[in-house]
Amino acid sequence: METRQALRPLSSLAHATSSVTRTPVFRSVASRRHQSTTSRTKKMLKIPPHPDFLIPRSGQNHIIYNPPPSAPSVFHTPFKFLPKSDPRRQANLIQLLRSSSGSHTSRGSTALPPPSRTVETRQKKYNVTREQVEEMRQLRASNPVTWSVIKLAEKFDCSPLFVMICCKASPEHKDNERQRLEAIKARWGTIRTKARDERKKRKVLLFRGAL
Amino acid sequence: MPEWMRGARSNANGSLIDQSHESPEESSTPHQTDSSQRSLPSPHPDRSLRSAKLAALRARLSLSSKIPLQVLARALVDPSADAHPRFNNANLAFVGASLLQYHTSEWLVTRYPRLPMGILFAAMKGYAGEPALDRIARAWGVEAAAAPGEEVDPGYLQFSPDKPTVMMHKWGYARAEAKELTKYKWRRGMSSRVVFDDPFGKTIPEQTEELEVSDARNIREMIVPDTEKNAHANLVRAVIGAIYLHCGSETAKTFIKSYVLSRELDLSNLFNFKLPQRELTRLCARENFEPPVARLLSETGRLSRTPVFVVGIYSGHDMLGEAAGASLDAAKISACINALKAWYLYSPGDVGLPSDTLAEDATPWRPVYVDIGEIIS
Repeated sequence: METRQALRPLSSLAHATSSVTRTPVFRSVASRRHQSTTSRTKKMLKIPPHPDFLIPRSGQNHIIYNPPPSAPSVFHTPFKFLPKSDPRRQANLIQLLRSSSGSHTSRGSTALPPPSRTVETRQKKYNVTREQVEEMRQLRASNPVTWSVIKLAEKFDCSPLFVMICCKASPEHKDNERQRLEAIKARWGTIRTKARDERKKRKVLLFRGAL
Repeated sequence: MPEWMRGARSNANGSLIDQSHESPEESSTPHQTDSSQRSLPSPHPDRSLRSAKLAALRARLSLSSKIPLQVLARALVDPSADAHPRFNNANLAFVGASLLQYHTSEWLVTRYPRLPMGILFAAMKGYAGEPALDRIARAWGVEAAAAPGEEVDPGYLQFSPDKPTVMMHKWGYARAEAKELTKYKWRRGMSSRVVFDDPFGKTIPEQTEELEVSDARNIREMIVPDTEKNAHANLVRAVIGAIYLHCGSETAKTFIKSYVLSRELDLSNLFNFKLPQRELTRLCARENFEPPVARLLSETGRLSRTPVFVVGIYSGHDMLGEAAGASLDAAKISACINALKAWYLYSPGDVGLPSDTLAEDATPWRPVYVDIGEIIS
């Protein structure tokens, strides 16, 4: 009984906030299960309507705007992508002022969500010199096993992709690596093989935008 | 008797003896005397005036009475049924196809000025290609005759599936190296297709003198793969050609707009990206935007079996695209794809078309926005 009373204001609160802040609404599944009777369960699951659907205090008619959560349409061009000649650019004065002011106010900078990964915001360093690239190539050619791509990237403080752009492994080394990979794949069982195959299919769908 | 029929008669006396489309009244005596005369490959033009199906088709398409029923009947005869160029729809279809491709391409370029070339070709095919025209012809309610012949009602579409017909309405610039392209699998870049090849970005196989080519692949390319579809598509092209010839270019344009361009094609489904993140970075560098950064808008169930991440791509303080995914990488990639689609599918709305200025009291043409080109190619 106490759980129910505790749950009631929470659920109504979640309604009011969810459309604004996009925080996922967690509802305790455990408390829902342990209602001893059907009527109590039904009563517990009874949720008040969204405040938009209630008649306002003034009693006037109003338009309900409560769209379902869905991905935005790609046919809606972001303001930044509008060309200079587009009349919509001039019509949206607020955006125009925001973009023209350059450095933003403190409110604007705090409103940005966090980067999904820390590497997203790192600056490019361009720290490897021409001589270091030559040295990198020599090391890679001398012993590709000890001087792997990861090792070289650590040594010269650059990304593995940059090492792979600079150096080219010998065909024998490539062949060895391929054979090693084949041996690993041969040890996979049916479940892992199938899972890897499906991962490949998902990737194809992802790049087609169908996932 | 119309001019074109008299011309046909005089021609029929010359080289093509078996194609004698003479009117029944005049040639009644030779019919009775000469029993060995072969029947016509397609119905006589005079019979089209008495065909209920043709009249119904003309009414259904709301065609002007300026278009004679004989011409509409001729639009229904495929070259595989009647090889005589005065009695099949090849010439009409050629005119119609060029009009159709012109109006489709100018409409697409002004409406979606940033489409990459590959997508533009695919969209051209989606609107004015053979599959789309085939669907249109079937929607018009045109039925195919079981076999072409003189006795068939002129309101039926006439083609013979067993006769090998050569692709009639492909043109553009044939490449000198067309043979090597297929034989040695030479590279054929996207930018060269703007100049060479057909309007859908496909190569035109080199025209050979005879059909008996030793290479089986060459034959396969020259012969129409689906005769039925090709015949239906040619009907639509021929009707457009007939409208242009008898009613003028404005009417033909209206017809194309209402039957072809009014169809819906989801352009956002045509894209298939290879490196969306790199493409978006290059785009932002090209347009002097801040480099794109993936930011996490919301997430749920990070440690569960089915997590959902909503990632937005930001350039500076502006969000370019947003998407949900089962992992951070997948969400970022699809958000990049959405941002790129939003860039490519920009539409300035209903700006005028260059062909609008062809009308008499038209305002002079004001240039519209067209993007400078591909981001990575």
